[in-house]
Amino acid sequence: MKIGIPRALLYFYYGPFWESFFKRLGLNVVISDSTNKAIINRGIKVAVPEICVPIKILAGHYLTLAQQNVDYIFVPRMVSIRKRQFFCPKFMGLPDMVKHSLNFKEKILTCDVVSDNSNISNYRNYLPLAEKLGKTKKDIKIAAQEAEKDWLQFRKFTQLGYPAPKAYELMVKGLNPVKINPKPGQIRIGLLGYVYNMYDPYISLGIFDILQENNVHVTTFDMFSENELRNVTGNMSKVLFWTFSNYLLEAGLHLFNSDQVDGIIHLTAFGCGPDSFLGKLFELESEKKGIPFMTVRVDEHTGENHLVTRVEAFTDMLKRSKAV
Amino acid sequence: MSKVFLGIDVGSVSTNVIALDHNYELLFNYYARTSGQPIESIKTGLEKFHSQYPDLIVAGVGTTGSGRQLAGVMVGADVVKNEITAHAVATTHFHPEVRTIFEIGGQDSKIILLKDGIVVDFAMNTVCAAGTGSFLDHQAERMKIPIEKFGEMALKSKNEVRIAGRCTVFAESDMIAKQQYGFTKEDIINGLCQALVRNYINNVGRGKKLEPPFAFQGGVAANVGIRAAFEKEIKHKVIIPKYFGVMGAIGAAILAREKIEKSQEKTTFRGFGALQTEFVPKSFTCNGCSNSCEVIRVTAGGKTIAVWGDRCGTWKEKMKQSLSEAI
Repeated sequence: MKIGIPRALLYFYYGPFWESFFKRLGLNVVISDSTNKAIINRGIKVAVPEICVPIKILAGHYLTLAQQNVDYIFVPRMVSIRKRQFFCPKFMGLPDMVKHSLNFKEKILTCDVVSDNSNISNYRNYLPLAEKLGKTKKDIKIAAQEAEKDWLQFRKFTQLGYPAPKAYELMVKGLNPVKINPKPGQIRIGLLGYVYNMYDPYISLGIFDILQENNVHVTTFDMFSENELRNVTGNMSKVLFWTFSNYLLEAGLHLFNSDQVDGIIHLTAFGCGPDSFLGKLFELESEKKGIPFMTVRVDEHTGENHLVTRVEAFTDMLKRSKAV
Repeated sequence: MSKVFLGIDVGSVSTNVIALDHNYELLFNYYARTSGQPIESIKTGLEKFHSQYPDLIVAGVGTTGSGRQLAGVMVGADVVKNEITAHAVATTHFHPEVRTIFEIGGQDSKIILLKDGIVVDFAMNTVCAAGTGSFLDHQAERMKIPIEKFGEMALKSKNEVRIAGRCTVFAESDMIAKQQYGFTKEDIINGLCQALVRNYINNVGRGKKLEPPFAFQGGVAANVGIRAAFEKEIKHKVIIPKYFGVMGAIGAAILAREKIEKSQEKTTFRGFGALQTEFVPKSFTCNGCSNSCEVIRVTAGGKTIAVWGDRCGTWKEKMKQSLSEAI
């Protein structure tokens, strides 16, 4: 049996768990290719025009997988990974959206994912899959427990400072990497963005490469452990509703207040509702702390030149001010 | 023999070639319409400089603007920089206190926000050129007024006339309507200047906090009517840098000088003789994968010397290999 997983959205955070989980159940796993023009064009055709670009891209990945002879496409309903906080409604409604707008109902493999922390390996989440996959409760439990180990290893590597795709690769190869620290003379930038925007080179237009070419040490929210960030909410009387937005908020406030970075870039997809709050909060914090802050807004039309110019200009100026 | 640093700004409308002496004074300034032929304009600019100052030694070259890569490859630039940094560097060199730069060129316009000499944000117009120089050019021609007189005439206006500035099509029909009502040319031109500035501040500067001191540069800064409209719109004095028309090229030259002085290396400038080589840029669509990248390949004397546009880097890699094999 072949299970398709899109290389999009939370793949860049939970992919290592899901891939390992299905493989340990003895299933074939097909991961869609890195986003390319054909995938995004497929997505744009079916998605409503107003929706954010990561969802359009996701739709393209689903359609691409559907053409790859897979038996099922995995579309989990991500509900909550923190008490009284939830995912963006687009995540919660994803299985319905896919069912009704992409027209491959019988191929959808779905379950609700609920947890009280970012570790979603509790096997009970995945029991609804057992029947379709022809597996027992015990099979599911064992596979989830094994996959959890892989995921924790992957998370450990991201916390050593490796961008998620690199951490994934290191985990698969079974390597034991060392922590990445800023090299002397390097500019340190905090890159705040959702995993699916940062790590999809098509959306981010290869921002990691551009930063690397500019000799920048990058810190992202997923390079912190959940506990490091918990309760870093500054002067906010309450937190936001959306979990990953809160992760970014906490990481941002932490970075603005801990002398770890020279500047902060907020990478956001055009039309992201939660990010409109985040952006303003970062802006205010930047003014308060005197740490330069820049918003980079991307959507399907973004030209690479635009991004390269902005990132280059930003790092240039940080370097120049540091040199003075 | 004294040394100079060259700056080349290849924009969509114009190409500037400038030379700065060791006191950061502008020694040479060449302006030409790019007219879709950046290579020819760069050549002419450099040849003009060389014939005017055959004895000066070029100690470094910097390029900027949308054609910076091509220009950089062609002349062997020490620095190839984006226009944001170039403009910001030039402005902070002459006016370190500036916090907001308004730059309006022939077909693009930008706002650069600085804080402590750092670019903290910027915006550029995208597809619409409503608030730029080419629109003013067009209107001046239509009203049979030399563009150089445009600004002065605006200042002679006695009555407020509101012209729709959102789109050039509406602006033009609005201007014609106001002419038929009997408003003077001066009033209409002044109204147009204000509309252009209003459109620029509201569109390019949307949501941005514009802090003084302000600097206004780019070709359109020559227009005193627009200057006045800026000061009226933002209710603050606006600084016009001495070399407002060529700030991008000056920034590129300053950056080249910094790099050379810091590294103590020799310039990579190919020299004026190399201008005789035939540079040919060619574009093709790569069918290697479904990204279908539009790849640009520049050849000099038949040899590929630069490639860009390929997302995956295959063509860049191929070029590097063939270059190293050739050596």
